[in-house]
Amino acid sequence: MDTNFWVNVHGGTTHFPIAMIFVACLCDTAALCFWHKPAAVSLRTAGKYSAIIAALGSIPAVISGLVMTRGDMLGQDPALRLHHLFAWPAFTLMIAAAVWRGLTREQVSRRGYAGYVGVICVLTGLIAATGYWGGELLKAFP
Amino acid sequence: MKPLAAFITSVVAAGTALGAAAALAAVLRHQEATHSHELPPYVPPADMASVPHDVLVENGKKLYFENCAHCHGDDAHGDEGPDLHGIWVSDRRISTVIKRGIPDEMPTFATKLHDDDIAGLIAYVRSLD
Repeated sequence: MDTNFWVNVHGGTTHFPIAMIFVACLCDTAALCFWHKPAAVSLRTAGKYSAIIAALGSIPAVISGLVMTRGDMLGQDPALRLHHLFAWPAFTLMIAAAVWRGLTREQVSRRGYAGYVGVICVLTGLIAATGYWGGELLKAFP
Repeated sequence: MKPLAAFITSVVAAGTALGAAAALAAVLRHQEATHSHELPPYVPPADMASVPHDVLVENGKKLYFENCAHCHGDDAHGDEGPDLHGIWVSDRRISTVIKRGIPDEMPTFATKLHDDDIAGLIAYVRSLD
């Protein structure tokens, strides 16, 4: 396995789910704020599919990361450890959020939806922290 | 599907995804342990081949306390630097990190330590496992 190749694949695959989860967070928050407006339905739909696409996109990102680190799920380097400590909860939460959102469709109350938006906001923070420490790794292993 | 049933399903799905990632990691670690790296393996200096392993480890220990213990701790369980027990990286990787250092993390020892010193350090670090 060529490590440099997998480093590039990991870099190429991680940014897509990062962007999509930010879009999902934005759309879902806007949908919650404008709950009674006609646009809220479109925003909820956009948020839902963004979250699902982000979860699907996170799978190649995780696989390429594991291949790159040769199966090391945590790592010895402090930056790598922090990257993973944020990445694994983010990945788990992303899958859970996407599955829940995909299955519930439009049957959720506003309160339930607010809870989901809260989870998505936490998830976005976790993803941002994962990306930040991923960037720090580029300095540690240029 | 009702929200509660969807919640239970999502927890199961997330657990399955994390479990699958852990299983893939285990397979990759096993493969890493049993297959050669893409780079040629680390070859210690030729003049070190005749040095008994115990002597090599003892030399490495002395060098460790002179150069590394300050950051990695006297017991090598980590202090400012990481724990060195049971590290999974190859001998080549250890040699490269000692020689080149890590920017903003670890100084380079290329001018201070020679190949035979590094061979001793590698033997000492491996003896910690």
